[in-house]
Amino acid sequence: MGGLEQATSGSIVALGQELTTMNEDQLARFRRDNMGVVFQSFHLIPTMTALENVATPLELAGVADAFARAEAELQAVGLGDRINHYPSQMSGGEQQRVALARASAPRPRILLADEPTGNLDETNGQAIMDLLFDLRDKHGATLIMVTHAPELAARCDRVVRLRDGRIETQAQAAE
Amino acid sequence: MSIRIASRFAMRELRGGLRGFRVFLACLALGVAAIAAVGTVRAGIEAGLKRDGAALLGGDAEVEFTYRFARDTELEWLNSIADHVSETVDFRSMAVVGDERGLTQIRAVDDLYPLIGSVILDPPMPLADALADYGGVMERVLADRLGLKPGDGFRLGTQDFTLRAILDRYPDNAAGGFGLGPRTIVLTDALSNSGLLNEGTLFSTNYRLDLPDGANLPVLRRDAMRQFRDDGLRWRDSRRGAGGTAQFVNRIGAFLILVGLSGLAVGGVGVSAAVRAYLAGKTNVIATLKTLGATRATIFQTYFIQIGVLALFGICIGLVLGAGLPVLFAPVIEARLPIPAVFKVYSQPLIEAAIYGVLAALIFTLWPLAKTEDIRAATLFRDAFGSARTLPPRKYLSTLTALVILLVAAAIKFSGTAFLTLWTAGGIAGSLFILVIAAIIIRWVARRLRTTARGRPALRLALGSIGAQGGEATSVVLSLGLGLTVLASVGQIDGNLQQSFSDELPAVAPSYFLVDIQPDQIDGFNARLDSDPAVSKAETAPMLRGVITQINGQSAQRAAGGHWVVQGDRGITYAGAQPSGTEITAGEWWPEGYDGPPQISFSQEEATEMGLELGDTMTVNVLGRDITGTITSFRNVTWEDAGIGFVLALNQAALAGAPHSWIATVYAEEQAEAAILRDLATAYPNITAIRIRDAIDQVIELIGGIAAATRYGALITLVTGFLVLIGAAAAGERARTFEAAVLKTLGASRRRILISFALRSALLGFAAGIVALGAGILGGWAVMTYIMETSFSVIWPNALLIIIGGVLASTLAGLGFAWRSLAAKPAQILRARE
Repeated sequence: MGGLEQATSGSIVALGQELTTMNEDQLARFRRDNMGVVFQSFHLIPTMTALENVATPLELAGVADAFARAEAELQAVGLGDRINHYPSQMSGGEQQRVALARASAPRPRILLADEPTGNLDETNGQAIMDLLFDLRDKHGATLIMVTHAPELAARCDRVVRLRDGRIETQAQAAE
Repeated sequence: MSIRIASRFAMRELRGGLRGFRVFLACLALGVAAIAAVGTVRAGIEAGLKRDGAALLGGDAEVEFTYRFARDTELEWLNSIADHVSETVDFRSMAVVGDERGLTQIRAVDDLYPLIGSVILDPPMPLADALADYGGVMERVLADRLGLKPGDGFRLGTQDFTLRAILDRYPDNAAGGFGLGPRTIVLTDALSNSGLLNEGTLFSTNYRLDLPDGANLPVLRRDAMRQFRDDGLRWRDSRRGAGGTAQFVNRIGAFLILVGLSGLAVGGVGVSAAVRAYLAGKTNVIATLKTLGATRATIFQTYFIQIGVLALFGICIGLVLGAGLPVLFAPVIEARLPIPAVFKVYSQPLIEAAIYGVLAALIFTLWPLAKTEDIRAATLFRDAFGSARTLPPRKYLSTLTALVILLVAAAIKFSGTAFLTLWTAGGIAGSLFILVIAAIIIRWVARRLRTTARGRPALRLALGSIGAQGGEATSVVLSLGLGLTVLASVGQIDGNLQQSFSDELPAVAPSYFLVDIQPDQIDGFNARLDSDPAVSKAETAPMLRGVITQINGQSAQRAAGGHWVVQGDRGITYAGAQPSGTEITAGEWWPEGYDGPPQISFSQEEATEMGLELGDTMTVNVLGRDITGTITSFRNVTWEDAGIGFVLALNQAALAGAPHSWIATVYAEEQAEAAILRDLATAYPNITAIRIRDAIDQVIELIGGIAAATRYGALITLVTGFLVLIGAAAAGERARTFEAAVLKTLGASRRRILISFALRSALLGFAAGIVALGAGILGGWAVMTYIMETSFSVIWPNALLIIIGGVLASTLAGLGFAWRSLAAKPAQILRARE
């Protein structure tokens, strides 16, 4: 539903739009306008500072005050003093916080997180999860998270369990 | 909008510095530097020739006649346009000292010589003093050969002279073109009793003109040609004072720039490989940008701008080197050049080199850049290119085709020779194609052979890595192969030319070529040769010079489309009965004793080129007299054996009474040559003998010089190829380190791994050498067969050098990067991969 993969059959409808009929550039624009993606391995651009990394999706969307908004976003994730640092100068936890700021900066309607704590120790992992849920609540986005950790899944509103590529169970999380 | 964002992203990517771009920059810089340097040297020589044009010519303008002095009407016209007119006479003769004889190119001058510039003598003295009272000056090489020093006597024809000084330098030496002997200068008046300037002997006269300031050279030239062209007048002026030399320099320069282009093509392979490797390392960044919403156009523009900036940087380095090195080494280059040169920074060759650099960079980076379109955002989740498309989208292929056409068009424009450019471009493209196919075959063969190498792990590993997908085989074969192909072609062409001149020609060519035999001397001359058992054959023929002015009543220039036969005057002959050995291809030879209207027998090959047919009429101007004859036969004339061959022969009666001399070729045993020459020269001092072996040596020396210059050009190609090899070896270092770590873990010793690495490089180098040799032999054969129209045989010593060179270059580059791979600790490498 992020438009990252091509479907071999069937159809994918996200936010009311049919993704399977879109070409690559249309999918890129769809992601730019609607999706924020957080990866397990952060995928920050190594030649850009934290500020530039966060500003990138805003620049691509043609936002006029991209850098001011990016700076505010970094302040919000507690990295106000690290804005001019390059990824290689930051810890894994810090890099993932930059990635979170980058994903939420364009105010996407969907936040897609792929094992966001998979490469982090427990303390950092916990902090990142708190931040992710905070961002979801603050900006009213839908958070879709892929995880192997049951305690993280338990914090979600709805859990879909996949096994060998098929939906095994789906349930509303206990309130 | 997209471009602005792409520029910003590109500038951020440039923060990564030059890592991964060193070979890219070196290849571009070297290719551009070579082209810029050759262009700068050529521009320097052209400027020098232009600056000294008048001095090189010996006057503001010059008119030349062959075989005669200017007539009164011509002299009248020359004196009417010039402030001063200086007459010089140019011909070959023999300088004689006792029994010693040396062929010399004589310049007989008047009191006004030289009109412009000065003659430098050793010991220093005015030329007028040196030439007074039957004095003469000659170049050191001839004086040494004859054992002469200033004050000693020598003889020209039947006139004695005294050598007054050695001729160190004279102003008009570059304009004379190809001379067969060292120069001697004497006064024309002093030759009146020498017997050397009789009617019918071979000489040319030059009238150097000192024109009033502001004289309009184009108008004067037009006027001269209008009045006197059909009388055999040739005009040159200071706009192109160096004549043939300037044209020669221009042609050699154009050729070397084209050789330089092949260097840029080899560099292009390295450029392309560097960009591909760089972009492969950027796959995650590109996929991330796509995830964040960047379109394909934004991605392409980002990396196009980044690589474009780096390419411009490389081109600038090349331009600085190409312009700077010739200026820096100007004193050394000037000292080795026989002609003047002005070394400074010239804009034209730099613009040319920059255009070549930009086009080559575009051509070789566009393909890998276009492949960024294949990187999909999903790559971030698993390593894979989205599609297995081998060709980039059509819009990039069309652009690539357009760029290649533009490059060839630019090369044709800059070199001024479409023929040479298209041959070179075809050669480069053909070689690249052959090398790509060869690389595919080499990999296929390596995969097949791998199974037969079981039990020999070092060889099996080497074959395995050569045959592997995405291995080094293609880039090694391409980079090393193209450089070696150029070198192999030059080696084969040079070797074949040297062989045909030094081995084959002397075997069939005569020992001596003799000119200026007077009609009353021919019987005695023949008698001397006929009585000598050492003489196997002697051919004689009368020779006159004439200008073909009309064909079928029309201007010959127009009718023959400017063919070389109608350019200026030609040697012509006459004969009574059909000479033995004459091969008539059409028509019939005139009957013996024929004295009707003039008949002409013409060379078949030239007649075909000029579109002549039997029955056509032709007007020949011989010494001011027009003779119109009908072509009644065509015959085969061969030039290959350096025998006597005349394009045009008339019946004897048509030329009866015209003053002329005879020429002869003598085929004799080598040990008898000296005695024959001594006897003939003593009996007939006016005769000039040209030893064919000496002439052949001069030609060999000239060819050797051109081949050496071409080899320097090819060497740049090879150095660039070596750089690309280093790039390929460096790119493969990580894979080799991993491979070494795995093999060590499995129990392979460092020695065995090293042997495997060395074998792989040596085998690839050997294969590249073999392919290059095949392509080089093919190129050499094509040039010898279709351009030189002569036989071809493989020159094996040159061929072996190419293969050894390929093995050495590849092994050195490969092993240079093997040490670090071998030294790495397996545990560290294998853990890092996990």
